[in-house]
Order: sequence, then structure tokens, then C-alpha cells
Amino acid sequence: MSNLDNINLPSISKELGSLHPINQIKDHLLKLLADIGFEEVHGPEIETEKFNFDMLNIKKSHPARQMHDTFYAEGKKNVLRTHTSPVQIRSMLESKPPIAFTSAGKVYRKDDDATHLPMFHQVEGIYVDENVTFANLKHLIHQILHELFGNNVEIRFRPSYFPFTEPSAEVDILSESGKWLEILGCGVVNPIVLENCNIDSNKYSGLAFGLGVERIAMLKYGVNDIREFYKSNLDFLAQFK
Amino acid sequence: MKINYLDLTNFLSEKPSKEELSQKLFQLGHEHEIHGDIFDMELTPNRGDCLSLIGLARDLAVFFGKSNSIELFNDDIEPLEIDFENLSSKDCPKISFLEIEIEDSKVEYKAYLENYFNTIGGNKANLFTDISNYISYELGQPTHCFDRKVIKNKLIFENKKCNAIFKTLLGSEVSLKDRNCVFSSNSEIISLAGVMGGASTACSFNTKKVLVECAYFNPESIIGKSIKYNLVSDAAHKFERGVDIASQEMVLRRFTKIVQDHAKIKSIKFKSFAEEALKNINIPIDVNKINKILGTSLKNDEYLRHLKGLGFHISDEIKVPSYRHDIETNNDLAEEIARVIGYNNIKSTPINLQKIAYNNHDGKAAKLESFLVNNGFSEVINFPFTPNKEKESINIDNPLDSNRNNLRISLKDSLIDNLLYNERRQKDSIKLFEISDIYTKDEVIKQQKKLGLIISGRQGHNYNDFSKKLDRNYLNNLLNENHDIDIFEIVEISRSSLNTKKKDKIFYVEATIEDIPMSFFSKLSTQQRFIDFIKYKPISEYPSSARDFSFVIEDVQVVHEILEMLDNISDEIIKDSFLFDYYKDDKRKIIKLGYRFIFQSHLKTLSDSEINKKVNEILSPILEIDGISIPGM
Repeated sequence: MSNLDNINLPSISKELGSLHPINQIKDHLLKLLADIGFEEVHGPEIETEKFNFDMLNIKKSHPARQMHDTFYAEGKKNVLRTHTSPVQIRSMLESKPPIAFTSAGKVYRKDDDATHLPMFHQVEGIYVDENVTFANLKHLIHQILHELFGNNVEIRFRPSYFPFTEPSAEVDILSESGKWLEILGCGVVNPIVLENCNIDSNKYSGLAFGLGVERIAMLKYGVNDIREFYKSNLDFLAQFK
Repeated sequence: MKINYLDLTNFLSEKPSKEELSQKLFQLGHEHEIHGDIFDMELTPNRGDCLSLIGLARDLAVFFGKSNSIELFNDDIEPLEIDFENLSSKDCPKISFLEIEIEDSKVEYKAYLENYFNTIGGNKANLFTDISNYISYELGQPTHCFDRKVIKNKLIFENKKCNAIFKTLLGSEVSLKDRNCVFSSNSEIISLAGVMGGASTACSFNTKKVLVECAYFNPESIIGKSIKYNLVSDAAHKFERGVDIASQEMVLRRFTKIVQDHAKIKSIKFKSFAEEALKNINIPIDVNKINKILGTSLKNDEYLRHLKGLGFHISDEIKVPSYRHDIETNNDLAEEIARVIGYNNIKSTPINLQKIAYNNHDGKAAKLESFLVNNGFSEVINFPFTPNKEKESINIDNPLDSNRNNLRISLKDSLIDNLLYNERRQKDSIKLFEISDIYTKDEVIKQQKKLGLIISGRQGHNYNDFSKKLDRNYLNNLLNENHDIDIFEIVEISRSSLNTKKKDKIFYVEATIEDIPMSFFSKLSTQQRFIDFIKYKPISEYPSSARDFSFVIEDVQVVHEILEMLDNISDEIIKDSFLFDYYKDDKRKIIKLGYRFIFQSHLKTLSDSEINKKVNEILSPILEIDGISIPGM
């Protein structure tokens, strides 16, 4: 008969939890942008119309300011920020070019359907210096997308419209299935926005871009339904260990 | 907006194929889908000028040239005497009226008009209204047709506070509230300006004398009205984006021409009311500035050629066309040039920035995250909207769900919901946390980063932890051990008010991260994080089913071999399996193993017989080994 004491106890592997996949992607993007030279700045999610819209050249008549698109709070005194751009405005007011900032976090839009949520995450970047051009923007966006999706990814720029950039572009990548997927918005910072932040737009110019974290997460992980991220299902979360 | 390919190419001198047209539309920034001959356009909100055949053709002319195929009524038109007053020229700086009387309103439509209704125009109404709709499609300018004989009194345009029921020409009734731009006559609102006309003055099939109103309304005056009153309005869509203030006479001459194509005209009269002279926008010619914005080396003649192609007039300055509300600066012109060159044809140039250290891993929140993940906690993210209103809650004016019109001031309720959600999915060991900024109001709005964590059920699935419960002691050992004081307050959450039959106790901790003493963090390590882009496997929403097996091993030398066999079992319907009990019986010299399999299908709820069949299949090779048995099986 064997001696039981000679039998090793079965090993126990530590049961690890996981960081939320959206925060993992957000971190990854911030790290990637820090490697390029962007510094993270922080700001509040409860904003005023001044910082969320006016300073960004989003006029009173812009559809985004309507009650059906934006959450207003406290008797219209505040808005839930609809993008992280106001963080950049606040930071620009406190600094002098050259600057290269990222802002990241939760943003809110009055949407709730299969492809839109009332809360989602953005990572945005802005770079202001002398002689910053659209050609610089193109190079930077290629660099970011190559880091994210590999050097062979096909990238397409399309003219678009954002009040805070001019020219503005939306950028698509070609998916494995041969479909173009919209991946980010970007542009040359509208000189009006620079002037609003007390930056001389004759001397300085800038570029800016914004990425939807959920969108990147869906593509990188192959999650088809954006709502999965917010069900807090352990079977889902455990996959992102 | 839907456009017929055949109609659009009528306005171009070259006739591009659908593919060529599509490619150039994309290059210009005009997204679309193609269904047969119909291009379904999705235009950016700054390009209201493109919401018509002529508008798109003006943009495309830079590639394909333009063809002047719009026929106008070119004869002199008698002046109209109309009793009209504009009480708010701020909202409507220019408005024109055309009065036409025809002999017979029952006419057969010419091919172009008939075709429009057959392809994209929808249902016909009456000659005048149908022409109005066609003109809006062709020229982008909405017009409104009043039945002339019904308007007997003075016509007034005003922006006034309303409290009235307004019946639209489509028959729906809307209750006008607050300030609205309206046309009224004899104290009755007869048209919600820029959105929809009223039923009382609408044209009918028999209308022979019409008053056509053609206006420029300031976008700010119209925006939001169609949504507020739930009226689908092509006119509002256009006015909100800005129409061409300089085109009214041309539009009404086109209107007249189309009427003339269809009916014998008895009389035509025209009158325009403009409060101020047109403001032209001129921009100095400066190709260097354009090159500085784009990073290109464009020559001056190329620059001006592109602008001319897009309809800009060049003299000693660049004159912006009256329909281009989006062009004011050199940056706007730079975008025009980039669209013509093609964004993808502009060469890229690197920027010169220095890498900076990314230090997000040693902040307090990041240290907490790593610590909790290492101890088996999973991070969740929740929406902040809650029904619970506290004195310091921030109130949402326009919530999605009127019951959830406050921002949460604690993470507790969200985490309880997350816990119950997972319990309903047969999870028996739950450790969750969330770190989020929490906003409250006092005199000012206050922002605090909070940690919430919640536990219930088993400590773990391994044989050491399986029978231990997650409890107050567990949290105390994890969070408060080795500290002089209890840093974290641990609260038990009663199940009595929760919709659950489970008995396991629930414990919860919430802390403001700034308030956690440094001594706690000094004991935590900084961890570099690496992301692993796993390919996500969709999860099943069908219930899972657990089966436990107790193995008695008499030949203890094979115990590790058995465990390896058990650990290596995998199957489509086995979601998880683990050793939850390990017992050495020194007296009997045997080892007992407790092993659990969890079955779940992606396709259905599994039946007992399906599970039993799978059990036999996976266990029979193991039970063939000498000295192994499962008592009772």
C-alpha cells in the first residue's frame, strides 16, 4: 500500500478577476498615445454649455444641443458632457503651446438602441504648435491605426463635419470582411477654438482626433453587440482576464 | 435624402457612371447608399446647400462640369399687391410671394414630374403642392402653397407665444406651445412657418388660384420645431440647415415655368420683401495660407481653378456663393480644396513629439484595481442613472427614462443589481467592483472618485475555498488586516428587500478613494498591465446545470493521472469543471475527489438525459482504470 503522505496535493491556481474590457482598451489607447507624446489631462463629466458647446464653436442651432441629443441637468444649468473635448478646452486655457493632450472617459448622449448607448467612452487627443497641418494629422492617424490594427491595415479618409475642426475628416479601416468601418473622427483645429482658448491662431495651428472606445473594443475583441459591455455578466467579463 | 441618378446627371455636362459618381460623392464627403438608380444621401449638417439636385450638381461640377438645364419663366411678371406684414424680420429676413391663377387644375403630368412621383416623390396631392415638392427636390428651396381664395385678410408673419391647436395640411393636430414662428390671418394660425402649412388654407385638387410663399428662415428660428411637434417635414430639414437667400425669384420663376408646362396661366404676380441687403462674404486670395493649413504645395492657378469649379466667383477676392453658409474662413476653403484633391491624395508628414512616460499604473485607483483583480474581483461599469433621489443628487432635466432622472450618489445599488443578475445566472461565487466618479451637488457640483465592491457566495471553486463563504471576515482579512485601524467599513446588505431567494450573505464596501490612507496603498504594488486581445466567445443565455461526482481512489498513485484526465475534458456543452473537494482518508488509505462539471448549451436548455449521456461519455474512460469508483454510479 502507498503512503498517502507521499502524494502531493493537487495544485491550486489563483482565481483572478479582470479589469473591464473598456477600461483595458482605454488604457491601451492612452499608453499608445503617451508613447507618441500625448499627455493625459482630466476634467469633469458634468459640464456647462460654455465648455461643452460654446467654446468648441458648436452654435446654439446645432442639432447636438437639442434636448433630444444631450442630457441637461439642474434646470439646464449643466449638461452631461457629450464628448471629452471640454477637458481639452479647460486644459488649453491653462497652458501655452506647444501642447499635446489626451482626454479620456465617459461621455453621454441621449440615445438608447441596439447600436447606441446613453453612456460610452471616448479617447481624444489634441496637438497645437506652430505649423501643424492636415498632412501632419494624416501621418499621426496612420501611426495610431497602424499601432492598433497592424501596419497592413487599409485606411481611408473622408470629408466630414465637426464645428471644432476645419477641415474635418472621418477615417475608415477596411475590415477582414471587405467592409469599410468608421473608426475615428479628426481634423485641423478650427482657429475659432484656438482663439476661444486665448491661443493666437495666426501663429499656432492644431490637430485633433477622437476615438470611440467601445467601437475599438468591439473590433479588437470581436464583440458584436455593444450592450454586452454593460450587462456585468461574469461569463462575459471573465473572458478579458 | 433620395436622389435619382438619372435626374442628377441631367445637371452635369459629363455623364459619369453610377460607380464614378459614387466614388466622387464619397471623395466630396457625401455618404450614400445606392439602390438601383436611387442614391440615398446622408449629408453632413453643414451642407444644407446640397439637399437638392442642383445642390449636389454644384459640388460635382468640379469633376463633371455643369449643364444648365433648368428652364425658367423669363417674361416680365406683374407686381403683386398683397396685404402682408413681417413682424419678425430677424427670423425671416427675406420672403417672396407668387400669385398664380390657372384655367384648369385637372392636368396630366409631364414625364419629369410624373417620374419624380413614381420614383421618390411619394403620393401626389394636387398640382400646386406637387410642383412645390418637386421644386424642393430640384432646387432645395421649400415653398408653401396657400389656397388664395381662402386668405381674405391681412397675412402676418410673426414669432409669437402660442397656446393653440393647429391642424396641419396632413390632418394631424398639434398643440402649439411657447414661442413659434407662424403665419396668421384674421387671428388664426394658418402655417407653422418653415415646418408645415395648415389645413384651413391648404390647396385642394380644385384650387385654381394659389399664393406661393418662398422664404428664408433663420435656422435658429426653425430648429427643433419638427421634433417638438412630431411632424416629419422635409421643409424644416432644409430650413434648419439654411437655404439660399438669394434664389427666391429664380425659384418662383421655375415654379411658374412648371405651372406653364401643365396649365394655361390666367395671371401671375410677384412680390418680394427683403429687410436688408444681402451680405456677401469675401475672402482674400491667399494660396500660401491654404498650403499652410493642408501641408500641401498647391499653385495659385490650381487653387483658383478648383474654387471656380465649385462655384466660387473669383475677382480680386474670393466671393462665397450665397448658398454656402458653411464657408467663412481660409480653413473652410482649405477643406474645399482638400475635398477636390481628395483627402487620400494629400501626402502625410510626421510630427515631432517626444515619447512621455505613461504613469497610469501607479495612481491610487490603478493600484486598487490591480489588487482587487489579483484577488479575484471583476470590474464592472454601470450607467449612473437612478430613480433614487437624495438631497445632493444631480437631477437630469430630460432623462431617457422618466423614472431614472437622478445621477447616483453611491455605487451600491448598481453593484447589488450586478450581483443579482449574476446569481440568476447560477453564479455562486461573486466578487465585483466598480471605480467611478460620483457627482453630487451642494452649493457647487462636487466630484469624488469612489470604489464600491460587493461579495457573496463561495470564496472560490478550488477545494480549499469551495466550502468557505465570502463574508465579513474575508473582507476584513483582505482590506483591513495589517492596518492599525479599520480603513474600510464593511456593511452587510439584507436580502429582505431584494427580489431573490438566495440565502448567502451579501457584504459591501464603499470608499472615497482620496480618503483611503496612504498606508493602505504603500502595501500595494504597482503592476505593469499588458493587454491581450482575445477573441471573444459569445456567451449563452440558457441556464447552466451542475453535476458533482465523488471519486473514490483506492490506488492513490493514480490520483494525479486521474486529475489530469478530468482537467483535460472539454466539450461544447461543458462550460466549466473543477476539483472542489480533496479528502485523504488516512485510515482507509484512500483519496476522495469531488469534481464538478457545469453544463450549458448555446442553443437550448439541456435536458437531464442529454447531460447524463454526456456524463457517461466523459466518465467511462476514467472509470475503466483500476481502483477508481464513483459510489452509487
